[in-house]
Amino acid sequence: MKQKYSNRFWAVLLAAAFALCALSAWLVMRPAAGRRALARISVDGEVVREIDLSAVDEAYRFELCTPYGANTIAVRPGGICVEDADCPDRVCVRTGWLEGGLTPIVCLPHRLVIALAEGGDGLDATAG
Amino acid sequence: MRTRRLTRDAMLTAAALILYAVEAQLPPLTPVPGIKAGLANIITVYAAFALGGADAAGILAARVLLATMIAGSPAALMYSAAGGAMCLLAMLGLRRILSRDQIWVASVLGAAAHNLGQVAVAVAVTGTPGLIAYLPLLIAAGMAAGLFTGLCAQLVARRLGKRG
Repeated sequence: MKQKYSNRFWAVLLAAAFALCALSAWLVMRPAAGRRALARISVDGEVVREIDLSAVDEAYRFELCTPYGANTIAVRPGGICVEDADCPDRVCVRTGWLEGGLTPIVCLPHRLVIALAEGGDGLDATAG
Repeated sequence: MRTRRLTRDAMLTAAALILYAVEAQLPPLTPVPGIKAGLANIITVYAAFALGGADAAGILAARVLLATMIAGSPAALMYSAAGGAMCLLAMLGLRRILSRDQIWVASVLGAAAHNLGQVAVAVAVTGTPGLIAYLPLLIAAGMAAGLFTGLCAQLVARRLGKRG
């Protein structure tokens, strides 16, 4: 059959695309502690809880019950993670601690997302 | 003629299901949601190039439905269907500019399209656009997996020749 572009063309193009993705993945996922300390926990797209991770002194855990199941969330200074869950795949548990990165912790069966946002520098609000 | 085609497609569907089931037994590679080898796509890629859109779509639909009924949840069906559909569309489009020896290229790009579809559905379902942050990692891993499955599909196409 015809070959519109050579194998080498594709090899170079795909390798470049791959490198680009790998680089942006690394940039997005490394912990950037300090800047992103406001943890937003949302279920079905609605924020149910916000935690200022920089204002946490002692580690604690709590249970979050969604209509789809329960997740045990652990919080420590600067970090948050899903410690336990009753979902079938437990990807959320295996994701581990979230400490400043852009990628959120996700529990798809429970429609749960824990993401970090800017702010959370210990202040409740600022008036200017 | 119809019987032969039906039988062939059914056998390929069974092969895809077996690959899917075997892969499900393997321990997860990373904690990141959605990263998998996607071995069943070897069949999808092969079918898209050697058999054509109609057969490939039929095999894919049958495989996704059966796999969900056997070992999945209705929620997982959405992600499988979206990913598979995006992958197939990408590969059928690429068929115009790729030769039979470049099936591996289609597989790499098809895998990227697959992850794109899955993230799109996840964002729509959970309502958090922040999930897009996972896209670079998923696409990078997907491309690597797509390369492997693409090479396998390439070998299959070479062995089976024109008769499919």
